[in-house]
Amino acid sequence: MSRLKSQSTALTDDPLNDICPVCKSNRYLNPTLQFLINPECYHKMCSTCVDRIFTSGPASCPVVGCGKTLRKKGFHKAFFADLKIERECDIRKRVGAVFNRREDEFESLSSWNDYLEMVEGLIFDLVEGTMKEKAKAEETLRAHRAANAKEIEDNKRAGLEAKDVELQREREEKEAVRQRRLAILREQEEDKLDVEKERREMLERLARGDGDANAITKHAQKVILKKSSARRNLAESNFADTANGSAPSNLSIRGLKKKVAPKAELAYDPFGGLDLKPARYTLQSSYENEWLDNAKNNTLHMAGGYSMNEYYSRTMFEAFSGLGIFIGDQVVEKSLPAAPATIGTVGAAEAAGGRLRQEMNTDDVF
Amino acid sequence: MAVSPLIVPGSGERGPHSKSKLSAASSGNGTPSTTLGSNSLKDVAEQMNEEEKDKYVKGKKVGEGTYANVYIGHHKSDPSNLVAIKKIKVQQEYKEGMAPDAIRELKHLQELSHPNIISLLSVFSSKDQNLNLVLEYLPLGDLEVLIKDIENIHYGAADIKAWMGMLSRAIWFCHENFVLHRDIKPNNLLIAADGEIKLADFGLARSFADPYRVMTSNVITRWYRPPELLFGAKHYSGAVDIWSVGLVFAELVIRNPYLPGDTEIDQIAKICAGIGTPTEENWAGVSKLPEYTVPSPTTPVHGPEHYLGMFGTAGPDGVDLLMKMLILDPRRRITAREVLEHRWWRGEPRATRNEDLPKKGPGSGLSRLGATESKRPGMVEGVARRLDFGA
Repeated sequence: MSRLKSQSTALTDDPLNDICPVCKSNRYLNPTLQFLINPECYHKMCSTCVDRIFTSGPASCPVVGCGKTLRKKGFHKAFFADLKIERECDIRKRVGAVFNRREDEFESLSSWNDYLEMVEGLIFDLVEGTMKEKAKAEETLRAHRAANAKEIEDNKRAGLEAKDVELQREREEKEAVRQRRLAILREQEEDKLDVEKERREMLERLARGDGDANAITKHAQKVILKKSSARRNLAESNFADTANGSAPSNLSIRGLKKKVAPKAELAYDPFGGLDLKPARYTLQSSYENEWLDNAKNNTLHMAGGYSMNEYYSRTMFEAFSGLGIFIGDQVVEKSLPAAPATIGTVGAAEAAGGRLRQEMNTDDVF
Repeated sequence: MAVSPLIVPGSGERGPHSKSKLSAASSGNGTPSTTLGSNSLKDVAEQMNEEEKDKYVKGKKVGEGTYANVYIGHHKSDPSNLVAIKKIKVQQEYKEGMAPDAIRELKHLQELSHPNIISLLSVFSSKDQNLNLVLEYLPLGDLEVLIKDIENIHYGAADIKAWMGMLSRAIWFCHENFVLHRDIKPNNLLIAADGEIKLADFGLARSFADPYRVMTSNVITRWYRPPELLFGAKHYSGAVDIWSVGLVFAELVIRNPYLPGDTEIDQIAKICAGIGTPTEENWAGVSKLPEYTVPSPTTPVHGPEHYLGMFGTAGPDGVDLLMKMLILDPRRRITAREVLEHRWWRGEPRATRNEDLPKKGPGSGLSRLGATESKRPGMVEGVARRLDFGA
């Protein structure tokens, strides 16, 4: 590998670089010399050698100590002079085709980053790892491909679509910039023409000799100024329009992201899926009790909006609270971490139960 | 607890060290705690408190209220999991114990658990018996900010319906659990990161009272205070909260407080002008309330046309609901459950989903100049674009 590196750095001025390592023919003798590589082993050789050795079918690599079986079909020109980089890019392409998840598939940035790091680790193993690590990474890759074939395909398609949209966007942006430049040019042109025209008119009027020469010149200048500023305003409002016009392309991208969740919308539930109607008793609209009669007939209670129904529902709730709650269940629940989003009034029921006993002693409502 | 009693003093000694460092950073008052003393064995309650406190790291101050300071903080084990820590101030009036607001908040928040009510995650006391409430962190400000930011924030009937729905559910849940909030106003309606509205500040809340037990009528911020409280009623019900909800609704529509009275007298005058004068005809017994005074001449209660003209954005059904929330007589005013049963919720337009609700912050107003240089998807500021090796 280090040999490869030193070769590549000195590519242009090192004549050794122009010698085929297999047949030793060089560029001096053969100006059309072209080197090919095979991504199986990345040993380079000239196209003549490739033709000579592999035309009659698969053969082993002629480089001493390699011996990998290569096919002619696999040979191609290296894009990078440094074959190490060429190899890494090939590996990245291969891994990228399998691990092609997109950021918006992840719930949080950190999980996305974790995923990226995992993929990067895999790539490193494939590029720099020992034989064992390589084999292991290779195995992971294969397993993942087999397990997620459908998702990979979906993502590939989505990726292509995103690229299309991106290209479209870039094109539109360029077009918008071009339009702007044209508009500015046109405006300048018109400006010039206008000024020219005004000046000519002024001269004509001066030549005709009607009115004060000074006044005519002043007036003409004013007209020119006014016109150009009016045009500027007009142009600005046009720009506003084109800016708005390019907005839908932004929107379409946002929509693309959301396409993942086309869940059917449920009917809006004003109660948010909660039903707090008492299950163990039915609440009556009125209860007879001597103690309550005074309050019922008291104007101060009634005019202030005191609600007997609220009192009934609370008292009934407290009377029944705690029923159907078993300490055994409670202990299990307590061991779970408190989840803030859950809905529960067990605590309220318990607390209310304690308070009720006290009240019963003092007031004895029912 | 896995700690054996023999190790407790040692681990306890480490505790206050790290704590004094922390408190020095946050309050500048670095007096080391003397809770340990000579007998370094702590009782179980103190240990539990210490354990609870060690779960959180207090950060910088983000707000100051009359009876508490609010700090941003996070879980020690997960720095991305943010919380708000409300540290109750020691008040001069209540040297002996805790301030009643703190007790009210604590008592009711620990019993109410609902998506539209701010959740209390933990409570612990720090040095000098300071009470700290650990609340969920709601980063997107409050509804008042949205209402006032007329320049950058635009919303419509669907958004109002979504917000009102969340508020109504919160207050319905409070009332179903026999809690009066008694301080509903836009800046007590906080907005979570996902757009959910959360009712906060239970410093004035109380349970429903028994008959004959008096409650103070000096609650609820004046602009949102119902007429029965302005007239000094001592026995009232959940209807007081509904009035406030109605005024929040009105404020959402017109983007201005509907009845901003300067004094209590002025507030009554504003109610008489904006809704109608409370009289014996429309509210039996109102004249017997202790502080009943209304300006003359009286204004008859406005009909639907008046509201339709002013709150037409909400649609005829919305206006109908608003009118029912703002009925002068608290006994005839709509209840929280009836609010949610109203036909407005099921009609068009459908309430906006949380993620589509308008939010404050940058990005709400896209400048025209920046339109062409807008960010490309997949490119984060300050981070290189990921190379695409896809075949």
